Amino acid sequence: SSAPSQDDIRDQLTVFHSPENFTVKHPLMNKWTLWFTRPPNKNDTSWHEALKEVVTFDSVEEFWGIYNNITKTSDLALKSDYHLFKVGIRPEWEDPANKHGGKWAYQFKEKRTIPIDELWLHTMLAAIGETLEKETDHEVTGVVVNVRKGFYRIGVWTRSSGTGSQGKTSKENRESLVEIGRRFKEVLKLGEREQVEFSGHSDSANAGSSRAKAKFVA
Amino acid sequence: LQLKTSSEPALPSAALTALRSARFIDDINKVAYPPSIISPNPALNSNAPNGKFKYEKDFLMQFQTVFTDKPSVDWEQRMRDTVGEPDSARPMAGSR
Repeated sequence: SSAPSQDDIRDQLTVFHSPENFTVKHPLMNKWTLWFTRPPNKNDTSWHEALKEVVTFDSVEEFWGIYNNITKTSDLALKSDYHLFKVGIRPEWEDPANKHGGKWAYQFKEKRTIPIDELWLHTMLAAIGETLEKETDHEVTGVVVNVRKGFYRIGVWTRSSGTGSQGKTSKENRESLVEIGRRFKEVLKLGEREQVEFSGHSDSANAGSSRAKAKFVA
Repeated sequence: LQLKTSSEPALPSAALTALRSARFIDDINKVAYPPSIISPNPALNSNAPNGKFKYEKDFLMQFQTVFTDKPSVDWEQRMRDTVGEPDSARPMAGSR
């Protein structure tokens, strides 16, 4: 592409040129919805009641307006979660986009020392910036952070779980997922000896707990 | 004493008005950023379909201190209805 002309510069004022009079904004490849799970209370009749849709957005600028004006993960009560999912996908196993899928996850047990706000921010930026996967893979459905008594956990949810999907063999499918795991590990700045673990949602459901045996690691 | 009520509709900030009326960039490689800004890596979007871009973390982080306004006029109400107050802002019995 050629160098920007004077007209382009005049017409295309970004938020960097003018935070209050910008004329163009940065589109995201997907629309995203931020969800929040508050800690359950004894009046809840089901888990679903604690899950609330917060806001849907489709530009970089709006993402920062939200991030800069919402409670930081480090300030959330125990048993809270943030979920950032592509629009139309509920952050639940039962959603059609998730029910054959799984998640990459890592638990941070040193709650006092790990920079959870930065790690969750970087995970969200990798999701909305679409750098968690190769562009043709269409695997990522959302990202999640869980605040628990003994740990923080960050996860990346995928549409499939390595058994083949979207015309892919199970080997090709697994390669796509492992690539996502590798990139996720980089986002979290984990060392060589640390591993992110992938598990299928249905395995977790059958095991009756979210601590299913890892299917693969990266 | 009459406390100020919030019955008057809140006016959007200048930044929020700009956000609402701004057009989406259609060719990311034609935007002329100020010299202090690191432009998006052109290689990342060499095959980008129209208006569908990827962005690297270092590019995205530059917006953090630039767009800081609330993203809607009813934001505070929405926060009360969903996320609630920060845990650290809540008085905690017997602590500190």
